[in-house]
Amino acid sequence: MTKNKILGHLEKYVVTYLFIALSVLFIVVSGLDINYVASQLLLRLNRNAFIVLALIIPIIAGMGINFAITIGAMAAQIGLLLTINWGVTGVAGILLAAAITLPLGAFFGFLIGKLLNKMKGQETIGSLILGYFANGAYQLLFLFIFGNIIPLNSNVTIVGASGVQNTLNLTGSVKLYTAVDSIARIPFLTAMYIFAGVLAGAAVVQFVRKKISGPRLAATLILAAVIAGIFMVPAVAAVFNGTHGREIRLPLVTWILILLLCLFNSTIMRTRLGQKFRAVGQSQTVANASGINVDRTRVIAIMISTVLAGFGQILFMQSDGIGTFQTYAAHEQVGLYAGAAILVGGASIDRATNLQALVGTFLFHSLFITAQSAASVMFGDSAVGEYFRAFLSYGVIAVALIMYAWRSAKQKRAQQISLDEGTHESAAEKEA
Amino acid sequence: MSEKKQQKRNRLIPILLLVTALLLLLTAAGGYYLRGTGEVTEGLEDMRDNAVLHAASVGLIDNIAQSARAEKLKELRADKDFRKRGLDEVNGICDAAMMEARAEAEKLYSNPKVEDSDALRAAILKLEEMLAVSGTLQESEHNVFSDIYVSLVESVADWKAVAGENVTDEQVLSNLKKASPELQSEASSHLLPGFLRMARDMAAKQAQEEEEELKNQMLSLLSSEIVDWSAYSGLTGDALWDKLTADIPELKENTAYKNDILAKAGEHILAAEKGETLSTPAGKEEGAVVLNDVQADYAYFTPTEELLRLQEENETAYDGLLQQLKAIIPDLSTLSNKLQATLRTNVEKVVWFEDSDFSSRYTLYAGHGAEQVLGAIGWKIKLAAMAKSLLLAGIAVLLLGLVMFFWTELTRRFGVPRTIIALFFVYLCLLAEQYNISVRMMMGNVLERMTMYGILVLAMMPGIQCGIGLNMGMTIGCISGLLGIVLSLQFNMTGFGALIFACVSGGLVSLPLGWAYSKLLNRMKGNEMTISTYVGFSFVSLMCIGWMLLPFNNPKIIWLLSGRGLRVTHSLLGSFAHLLDNALSFSIFGIKVPTGGLLFLGVCCLMMWLFSRTRTGIAMTAVGSNPRFAEASGINVNHMRTIGTVLSTVIAAVGIVIYSQAFGYAQLYTAPRQLGFIASSAILIGGATVSKAKVSHVLLGVFLFEGVLVFGQQIANSVVAGGGLSEVMRIMISNGIILYALTQSGGGRRD
Repeated sequence: MTKNKILGHLEKYVVTYLFIALSVLFIVVSGLDINYVASQLLLRLNRNAFIVLALIIPIIAGMGINFAITIGAMAAQIGLLLTINWGVTGVAGILLAAAITLPLGAFFGFLIGKLLNKMKGQETIGSLILGYFANGAYQLLFLFIFGNIIPLNSNVTIVGASGVQNTLNLTGSVKLYTAVDSIARIPFLTAMYIFAGVLAGAAVVQFVRKKISGPRLAATLILAAVIAGIFMVPAVAAVFNGTHGREIRLPLVTWILILLLCLFNSTIMRTRLGQKFRAVGQSQTVANASGINVDRTRVIAIMISTVLAGFGQILFMQSDGIGTFQTYAAHEQVGLYAGAAILVGGASIDRATNLQALVGTFLFHSLFITAQSAASVMFGDSAVGEYFRAFLSYGVIAVALIMYAWRSAKQKRAQQISLDEGTHESAAEKEA
Repeated sequence: MSEKKQQKRNRLIPILLLVTALLLLLTAAGGYYLRGTGEVTEGLEDMRDNAVLHAASVGLIDNIAQSARAEKLKELRADKDFRKRGLDEVNGICDAAMMEARAEAEKLYSNPKVEDSDALRAAILKLEEMLAVSGTLQESEHNVFSDIYVSLVESVADWKAVAGENVTDEQVLSNLKKASPELQSEASSHLLPGFLRMARDMAAKQAQEEEEELKNQMLSLLSSEIVDWSAYSGLTGDALWDKLTADIPELKENTAYKNDILAKAGEHILAAEKGETLSTPAGKEEGAVVLNDVQADYAYFTPTEELLRLQEENETAYDGLLQQLKAIIPDLSTLSNKLQATLRTNVEKVVWFEDSDFSSRYTLYAGHGAEQVLGAIGWKIKLAAMAKSLLLAGIAVLLLGLVMFFWTELTRRFGVPRTIIALFFVYLCLLAEQYNISVRMMMGNVLERMTMYGILVLAMMPGIQCGIGLNMGMTIGCISGLLGIVLSLQFNMTGFGALIFACVSGGLVSLPLGWAYSKLLNRMKGNEMTISTYVGFSFVSLMCIGWMLLPFNNPKIIWLLSGRGLRVTHSLLGSFAHLLDNALSFSIFGIKVPTGGLLFLGVCCLMMWLFSRTRTGIAMTAVGSNPRFAEASGINVNHMRTIGTVLSTVIAAVGIVIYSQAFGYAQLYTAPRQLGFIASSAILIGGATVSKAKVSHVLLGVFLFEGVLVFGQQIANSVVAGGGLSEVMRIMISNGIILYALTQSGGGRRD
């Protein structure tokens, strides 16, 4: 690697490295038990990874961070409310909620896409404010339309007033709590061994099919061996296998769903639709010239993202440790936390990968867990940690936006210079 | 050809609407005509007589039903199977008995026979007259009392100094007169004893609160100063006290809390022996501050002699009526004293009530089942009662028809959102009239809120003019202003000095911040709105940590338990709450005009207008509306943007000070986060775009936005119980208008 390349890499991932450093510092300072941190972290990954992954397609299609995924979450919450209302329990209930979310999310996504097409270049702020606006509509629906115009059972409405209750229980007879998570749980260590095995197996298969080269195969095999090896070290294994604290187990079905979404994200990019996303994201003018219906492609990207975010919200709501459905607040921070997480992973306003999303979720939440304890050690006040977390979320997004704007301004300047050197005619063409 | 057809069809609906409006208005006119006829007036009086009787009998029937229920319950309790029965069963039996008794009583008393209806009518009219006179007088006296009460609470910071234990009554009174000049007038001298009691009570309450706080502070010292409690193990009583006071000298001066402190120390020791530590509830003190306006407490009200005399006359008039009623329903005399009092309020409510008009009287009487007495002329009275609603509906349809008829012209001149919101505002006014909500009072509220938000909205203007669009990062200025306010509180400043100090220091802090912020935005052309939003959000969160850690130490503004960190809500009562609004304030048509605030807003707007006429102002506006042209004509674009951004930030700093004085409270932490959105939506409603804004947009916008909110809130509250609807409306209007502005500016990035 040349020096320039390293510098470029550092510039691109400066936020990520900062977060890694801060995470390590906070874990050390907070003095929290490593077993506790690991289990909490895994819990939050289970919950949030899906929603964060739902942000990728609009980013590639050049629409920035889709903060309107809150609207997908709202669609999911409508689905969940109806499921609870009709008394459908367990996996069937989750499937029903997802079945309601699909058309609702697609419809909402269609509307969002149409609107965002009218504010090209301002999608990030537009989707944020659209989320706020939709929150108003959501409250109107849940406070005044449900229970009055659309009849609901008395177990979800407020007795003696209009609207849906503030919190709905997912445990007890509702039986939606951990409906997906608890289908199968395997020990974390086993899961890691399986993961290493699958990685190695896939690499061998790809090599046999001559899709990857020899050195690449070797590198992947070594990586798999390292992963398996790390978790065989007794000291590391002790963190997870219950020697210290509780044994950490992994909800298998949830993770299969998350990995399926990763697969979906990477497969769709190889289809014609995915090529369109990429083309539109790189340059709308070029895409338009090559016969792609730009507006339609963007609408489809947002529709997929909204529906996926809805599914993600269902997974979030059923996951371990939630148990209640905060009717009027559960969706509010979805966009903020997901957006911050993917940016922490090194994604930018116009580039994102599955790995960045997963790493980002991991890092963001590792700080989230430790910030409070670290702050109470450093400042003697846990409330500082609370505010620090909010600052991190907003600050990360602000920094990412600033860096993106900076970079594109620099590029534009570079273009301008090269244009100035070229003929005036081509410059005029570019302007038009 | 087809276009013409299209146009014809477009005109069809408005014309239909106009015809409907005409019909409605004609019917309304008919209703108003009927109101004047003797037949209808007489009918309404008949209804009242009947309603009074009904009101009287209702209490009696309730009483009978309740006593039947109690009787049944007693009977059941005496039964030896009582314990075997479930609660639901017992309730069921009792309710059945109650219903039975009620049905019987209703048969007896619902349609009492009136022997001498003229005497009843005379007694009712007499009582009505008396109630009207005394009610009006009482209201005006209450208003005088309430004004003085509120001004006292707002201007007195330290009640202990005004009316502490060692202040004589004369001194208290002279202190009060100083605090509220209105008390000096002869007309309010009868109120003095009441206010004396109030001042004493306030002082006592304050002393008690301070003592409580001091005690909590001492208790929190225990957990913050002493880490290792195991050293105290085994100590109790005086031995423990001696060791504690040796370790924490502050405790020595507060022997009054010795017992509490010893008890708390005991808990600590016990926990330490088990190997635990008591959790410190630090930072959990926020909230619980009710942000309502100061309400007068009428327990301290003293009526004038005139009012007392009138009230006595009321008594005789009521007695006269009661005699009549008893003649008709003899069983009324069996009611207990408490029920007699209820009876009186019930009857008086029917006989006379405030702001009564034809339709509200009709609704009330009809509610008392008095419709049946009317017979054949029933429809006439009903029509007369509905006249107002019909008139309002007629106007509403007429306006809708007109707006639709002239849609193209209107939207071309005012833009779609402004037209819709203006129409919506007029509709809200009509609805307010329909629900008998006082439009005048709400206009007063709108004026008050205009002074509150006006300057903040004005802060958006230079931002838009200089080309950074909607300056969502104005929160940076707001926080500087809040810092100014907190500084003024830290130094215990009061009055105009505090207000001016807060404005100036806030403005000074905002200068470098605004400058740095503008430098950032100058590098981010085309993305300002997104970035300013998140920079603003980040700054608010960063300052949340700042508010916690800044070294403020005035016990009035910091959290007591942890001994540091600013509180969330700071009451400005006694500092500069409502100071500007109350200056030169006067009442006209029952509307309280916040003259000082309006004048200040006016002066600021004028200065802004003058500035936009200067050479710099014109250059700045050019940069905003057409940056390329501006650059081509030799204007330093970045320089102009810097001026505009800094100006916007400084105005926001002053704006939040004015906002807080009008609100009466300063709110820190996350409270300022959404202010940028509110200000943006207001100026957009006024007709500004993301690249053009004028002073008129600011004033019209803040009036329409606040008008819609105030009216909407009141009406939503009377339509649907619970306050959710108005909040929903606020969210949707304020974000919807920003979305609309974005779609108008969108379709291509401005470079």
